[in-house]
Amino acid sequence: MSVLKYFDLYFKLISAGVRAQLQYRFAFVMRIVGLITSYTGTAVTMWIMLYQFQELGSWTFYEMLFLFAVAILSWGFCIILFFHFRGLDTYILNGTFDRFLVRPINPFFHFMAMKFDVASFGQFIFSIGIFIWVGFELQLDWTLGKSLFLLFSVIGGVFIQGGLLVMISALAFWTTKSEQFYWVAMYPARNLTNYPLVIYPKAVQWFTAFVVPFGFVNYFPAAVLLEKETPFFPDKIGYFSPLVGIIFFAVAYYIWMLGLKQYKSTGS
Amino acid sequence: MFRFRLYWTFTKKAFLRSAVYRFDVWSRLGSNLIFLLMWGSIWTALYAGREEAGGVSFEAMLTYIVVSQFLTGVNGAGTPLWDIQEKVRTGDISLELMRPFDVPLRYLFADFGSVAFYILTALLPLYTVLFIFMDLTLPDSWQTWVLFIISAFIGFLIRYCIEMSFGLLSFFLVETGGIVDIFYFAMSLLSGSVIPLWFFPGWLEKMALYLPFQGIYYIPNAIFIGEISGSAILLSLGIQLFWVGVCYLLLRLVWNRASHKVVVQGG
Amino acid sequence: MMIIEVEHLMKDFMVAKRETGLLGAMKSLVKREHIKKEAVKDISFSIEEGEMVGYIGPNGAGKSTTIKMLTGILVPSSGKVKVNGIVPYENRQKNAKNIGVVFGQRTQLWWDLPTIESFELLKEIYQVSNKRYKENMDTFTEILGLDEFLNTPVRQLSLGQRMRADIAASLLHDPPILFLDEPTIGLDVVAKEKMRTFIKEINNERKITVILTTHDMEDIEKLCERMILIDHGQKVYDGEMAVVKEKFGKNRILIVDLEESSHRLKVTGGEVFKEESSRFWIRFNRDAVSASELIAQITKTHNIKDLTVEEPEIESIISRIYQEGYQNLPETVKV
Repeated sequence: MSVLKYFDLYFKLISAGVRAQLQYRFAFVMRIVGLITSYTGTAVTMWIMLYQFQELGSWTFYEMLFLFAVAILSWGFCIILFFHFRGLDTYILNGTFDRFLVRPINPFFHFMAMKFDVASFGQFIFSIGIFIWVGFELQLDWTLGKSLFLLFSVIGGVFIQGGLLVMISALAFWTTKSEQFYWVAMYPARNLTNYPLVIYPKAVQWFTAFVVPFGFVNYFPAAVLLEKETPFFPDKIGYFSPLVGIIFFAVAYYIWMLGLKQYKSTGS
Repeated sequence: MFRFRLYWTFTKKAFLRSAVYRFDVWSRLGSNLIFLLMWGSIWTALYAGREEAGGVSFEAMLTYIVVSQFLTGVNGAGTPLWDIQEKVRTGDISLELMRPFDVPLRYLFADFGSVAFYILTALLPLYTVLFIFMDLTLPDSWQTWVLFIISAFIGFLIRYCIEMSFGLLSFFLVETGGIVDIFYFAMSLLSGSVIPLWFFPGWLEKMALYLPFQGIYYIPNAIFIGEISGSAILLSLGIQLFWVGVCYLLLRLVWNRASHKVVVQGG
Repeated sequence: MMIIEVEHLMKDFMVAKRETGLLGAMKSLVKREHIKKEAVKDISFSIEEGEMVGYIGPNGAGKSTTIKMLTGILVPSSGKVKVNGIVPYENRQKNAKNIGVVFGQRTQLWWDLPTIESFELLKEIYQVSNKRYKENMDTFTEILGLDEFLNTPVRQLSLGQRMRADIAASLLHDPPILFLDEPTIGLDVVAKEKMRTFIKEINNERKITVILTTHDMEDIEKLCERMILIDHGQKVYDGEMAVVKEKFGKNRILIVDLEESSHRLKVTGGEVFKEESSRFWIRFNRDAVSASELIAQITKTHNIKDLTVEEPEIESIISRIYQEGYQNLPETVKV
């Protein structure tokens, strides 16, 4: 099938997914409320923390909010495109995954197109609101260059976090578990990166920069935009986010395909 | 008549059952450790080398966070909120209405079993090691230890009643996303689990002191590090007892309405 | 032409061993042992174009493992598979275009959307031309009565409607081969009958090769000319349905209740295979001896209170084959 045909099919599949989701209006609204509540909760926690202490590893409250908003913006896209990957284990356990394998299209593509969670558009409102507020407080001037930089960093962040979700879902092919891996590994790790990495032990910083490159999601790019130092790391390392993202996602896709091969030889 | 033996079998069964889910045990411990690392690092950076802040020494603050993470592990080892919701949705809980026992109590006793297993096999070994290798304050008298354990236990009961009540809301609402997130927010912030109440802005501290959540983490933690001491401990335990009573009544109320709904409208 | 060829097909799995008791539970926290399970051991068969074959066996016999290898979901441990000239696991996507699959217990339709939308999406996924899509939809609507629920969300369909929709969905792209996994499970008598009529019709008119797994013996009796019986991963019987019925259908079972209880009953020409106080079950071959001869024999020595003669149902024949093995069935039965 041609690439164009795939695009056309993706559009048709996701629009079906969106229509299915919108059948449950109340759930949809509740999800938006839920997402906004939990982000506000984190922001309030940051505010209280810095109410007494002013600074966290030389980052002020507004700088931290900015850091947080960058993470949320790319995570928002991730939820839309990839969040359902964490539930692959359920599909495998109840046998519904097989239906992706009896069809004449790429199963990764098919699985990805199964859901398109529009509820997380709610978090765009949240993060854009924060960008405006923080930009005003810190008197950031949004030049075209900076805006483009942010855009590319967010794309990089989507690839990195999406890649991680893909890798976690691939674990289901070997262990029949994935949702749980998300909650015990990625969820806490995502929380970790809501705060500037500089506060963590060096080993952790190194790990989040080069093994699971969360640092490239928000910390490095935000440091570039806010002109903050990133001790232990070269200046301007934030410029590499898109590249790191693409490489990481490619690796993740490869692992997923490897897992699929494993699944085909064990069947469970 | 309270049939202790009956409920005790649920405890025993849950204890044995948790042993089967080894992955759960390891993974929960792993995530607990990541959060400990996170909050430990945050507080280290906030103190930024200072010996003390707001009248609390760094060592005591670090202890507060470690104990808090330990209690988070304890409180997170029972039936989680989403599982209760799932059981409501699948009708498991409705089915249990036909059985000759009280459902909320049955789950509480089952939780005792799984929590005990998790404490014995995972939390206690890990946190013992942490206390040996980190510079942390330990209570200086055995009385404080006892009072801490009592307080932590009451905190566990408060948390159970609130969490179960929230879980049972699924009987009335198809989707509870937003409400559940409010619960999680209250659990993490207003309970003082990550920031002790004395660091809150005045108005928020007052608000938190009028809510039940402080009884889950703040009071036991503060007793442990000696921030609440002497007769203030008894007062705090009194406050906890008051809240456990209120939360239990809330749970009863929600449960009665839920079971009424099942009986009358068939779920 | 052979449309499906399977030679010496094998599939092994490693399964975790469950430990028991508290000590075992503690042990499994650290280490878990695995044992090898042979789900399919050395199965061979071939199916001709246009055949309708019942692939049957008890739970865990290896039915769905075989089907998964034929559909390209599973890679065999060893052996050869060819479906319409394609090796499914090497060329899964190409194979997918040649097959239609219906899992009776799991729908492949979009749960929350009106049924028609699932058809439209499948049209895109399988790249069915507009013309062919329309033709097929018209036919299926007519035979299966799809129009009564095309605009209803799948989750609101009755099981019978959902199965009809699922079958139509699996045939949209004109596959030469159709796999049906328990297509009548959970349906009521009327819906089952409708489903069978439809399956027969597409097999007859479109010359679609159908492989059917089922637990419903009536399905097999009414639909399949040939059946492949497997148990414990091995083929137990492969041949015409009629032959099985012929062979075992000559058996009759005579059940007699005697006035006086329990002394041993002996009859020539029949075999007493079960007794319960004063009731006896006697198996005999109708060609060799008649029921009245047997009864006459018995009345010489005993007083009969009551009697019945039973004809074996296909179900009991098959369950006997499972229990005793095709080869091991007693001589009186074999012809």
